Amino acid sequence: MSGLYDAIRSVAARYPESRSAILPALRLAQQEHGGWLPPEAFRDVAEALELTPAYCRAVASFYDMFHLEPVGRHMVEVCTNVSCALVGAQQVLEAFEGELGVAAGETTPDGEVTLRTVECAGGCGWGTVVVVDHRYHEPVRPEDVAEIVRELRDAS
Amino acid sequence: MVRVTIDGQEVLAPKGQGLVETAASVGIEIPVFCYEPRLGPPVGACRMCLCEVEGLPKLQAACTLTATDGLVLRTARTSEQAAGGQSAILEFILLNHPLDCPDCDKGGECPLQDLTFRFGPGSTRMQFPKRTFDKPIPISPLIALDRERCILCYRCTRFSESVSEDGQLVAANRGAQSIIATFEDEPYRAHFSGNVLELCPVGALTSTTYRFRARPWEIQNVPTVCGLCPVGCNVWATTREGKVARILSRNHPEVHEGWLCDKGRFAYDHLRAEDRLRTPLVRVRRRGFEEASHEAALDAAEAGLRAAGSSVVVAFSGGETVEQATALARIVREGLGSDAALLPDDWDAALDAFRAPLSAIRDADVCLILGDDPVVERAPVVDLWLRAARRAEAEVIAVNPAGDVQAAPGSAAQVCADLREGKKVPTELRETAKSLKSAKRVALVWSEDDPTGGRHVGALANELHENGRAEVAVYVLPRTPNGRGVATAWYTVGEGRSDPPGEGEIGALVVSGDEAASDPRVADLAARASFVLTTAMFQSELTAWSHVVLPGTSYLEREGTYVNLEGRPQRLRRAVVPFGPDELEWLAQLAERFGVAIDPWAAPTAAEQADLPPADEFAWSRPDPQAPPGKPAGPGLELVRIGALFSGAAVERIPQLQFQRPAAEVELAHEDASTRGIAPGEAVVVTSNGTSRELRAGLNRKLRVGVVRIPAEHAKDFGDRVQVSRLSTGESR
Repeated sequence: MSGLYDAIRSVAARYPESRSAILPALRLAQQEHGGWLPPEAFRDVAEALELTPAYCRAVASFYDMFHLEPVGRHMVEVCTNVSCALVGAQQVLEAFEGELGVAAGETTPDGEVTLRTVECAGGCGWGTVVVVDHRYHEPVRPEDVAEIVRELRDAS
Repeated sequence: MVRVTIDGQEVLAPKGQGLVETAASVGIEIPVFCYEPRLGPPVGACRMCLCEVEGLPKLQAACTLTATDGLVLRTARTSEQAAGGQSAILEFILLNHPLDCPDCDKGGECPLQDLTFRFGPGSTRMQFPKRTFDKPIPISPLIALDRERCILCYRCTRFSESVSEDGQLVAANRGAQSIIATFEDEPYRAHFSGNVLELCPVGALTSTTYRFRARPWEIQNVPTVCGLCPVGCNVWATTREGKVARILSRNHPEVHEGWLCDKGRFAYDHLRAEDRLRTPLVRVRRRGFEEASHEAALDAAEAGLRAAGSSVVVAFSGGETVEQATALARIVREGLGSDAALLPDDWDAALDAFRAPLSAIRDADVCLILGDDPVVERAPVVDLWLRAARRAEAEVIAVNPAGDVQAAPGSAAQVCADLREGKKVPTELRETAKSLKSAKRVALVWSEDDPTGGRHVGALANELHENGRAEVAVYVLPRTPNGRGVATAWYTVGEGRSDPPGEGEIGALVVSGDEAASDPRVADLAARASFVLTTAMFQSELTAWSHVVLPGTSYLEREGTYVNLEGRPQRLRRAVVPFGPDELEWLAQLAERFGVAIDPWAAPTAAEQADLPPADEFAWSRPDPQAPPGKPAGPGLELVRIGALFSGAAVERIPQLQFQRPAAEVELAHEDASTRGIAPGEAVVVTSNGTSRELRAGLNRKLRVGVVRIPAEHAKDFGDRVQVSRLSTGESR
């Protein structure tokens, strides 16, 4: 674990105060722990930045891009904020739920895909926005969903 | 000064003053929940303080505004808009707040209840089920959280983040999902956790020791002073039916700013411990201790002391009131003709030239902390003042084995000498010397036992004052709550003091209090004494060597004066009546038999919120003290014992405080751990002086290489040096 410690320390060195490095540090820890942040990850980050695990977890719980539960190898994020909601985000979400066989916030039993809703992804002109493994698909209609899932399944 | 108009009334206020205070200065209340200046800048989280400001279209959170010239403010008293806004905020806050006031502990002393009554709507439009949570959630064995009552004012988390800086109580999640939480349901384990109970403006955080025990209309609050450490925080002792039910803070802004440590707040129930001594005990030959009448016990005490002649030694605890210590000193000095005493703390009166209130620490440019004991364990609130100083951009430099400057254990006196000398300052102290030289206001804190009475730090202060022209405040932290008062009493009654004889028979030993009884030096004296008279609250193996034991009382049961570490005489009040005579009464009766007249009724003169006497005229004429030579190196690692705050007779008797007691852990420097292949959390064997003990390894990146720290209660029988090795290999390096 000293690899992570050193990596966080070197990021922290770029800031006047080491606690400012909390977001990149959490990102490094999330990579190290397979895409999510277990309790040990917060202890590691806290030690490296001289913070408390409670503080690190509080920060992580605020942001959508940090995961406090295990996630699948792939991530499908459907924006359900107002612009997307007006053009049918709910139907898109339901299509994904049907196609993947899991509800929003869950991971497929084979551990491959996590489906979840997110707050505005910043693509309001082309709703509904769906983010698959950090890549944007926009606009997505319910009928496009089967193809997206097929590509995802093929990729893995 | 600027001119502000509040509700049509012109007010002259200092520029930048918070409007809540400005309004209060002319008797106008702006209601608040989250606003609390002691927690740092306002956050405007609760919106209870909405007011109308002329020229601004919307209602403003008045707590976030400051006095500026020409500002016109209308509160709910004169503005319909503000009244409507405040009422709407209360309706909103109450959307999810349960109406369980009849069985909520805060009921009757609840800001939310009071403000709703005065500023809120009489009814609600809310017709949906309210949010519920599991309840109560144990934030720690001391604190219960009823999450559905929380209004998210963030007072508790602000305290944790920016006053005690423990960072353990946090707001998790975001927006409406926000909750107050600790990490992974771990307990909120910190020295000052209990303060969040008093900060919470609703019944969300309640104390497990007071929950469901009393109602606000059936209690009495007695103003007194905490007697568990030398800070002397001002407190209210809440009593119900003649028993202490809780301790609340009574803000003395110069002493503790209203904060209390968990020991002072929660240890009060030791008064009612099962094993408290209630009747005098007299040792009867071949039969052991027998309960005796007051008269018989006094007869036995008198006989024992008379037989001893003037071969008498008295051991003080440092928990005696000044009046009590004076009485005992007079019996020993005037009645028995001895001047041999063990004082828990010694005090050089010349240090009073550097006397300053504790709050002056916050205003210093440089704070220098000397000594191996962590300040927070010795005088907890001083640690909060030092943190406040650091937040105010003072340079706070701790010089100790785990400090900013990693000094060798026991080298505080040498450090003082080096810094005083000015020339040939050791490399690691160069930066410190430079900071001290340029500082205008310096606070010096001495945090370990000092048999020279603070003369090393006094000489440094003198140097900084004379040659550096700095304003210097010195805080020597005594080990005991009233160690200063006891020492002063001893030297006021008569001249000088002689040490107890190092060997040979002693006629009689007088042991005053439980702390004296647990001093190993006292046990050694007792073994050589023909007669031992002990006053103690609790019976233990420590009282076993006594011949007469008189039941003692607690600081909550006595009237008198305590002198805190600043030198401030403070008034101790009897919150509850003890079941028998207190120490002063015993001493008065005993004194009579030796021809010494003592008033059994203390007549303390200190005010309810005492002022600090002004600093003495500057006159430092002490010879420069010699620093003791460094300890010789040897095999293994050098041991520093930590006298933990959460230890001692009172803490041991409070079940809810047990989780706060020091872990059986040995702190190792990172390098020392890795050369021994020890991982953090691993079990290790610590060996010293033929004693071996299994402890958990804790790694401290700031600890000096070659030093280990162990809480004193886990380092019994260890020598100055220890061997540490992994449990699995059992091999020592």
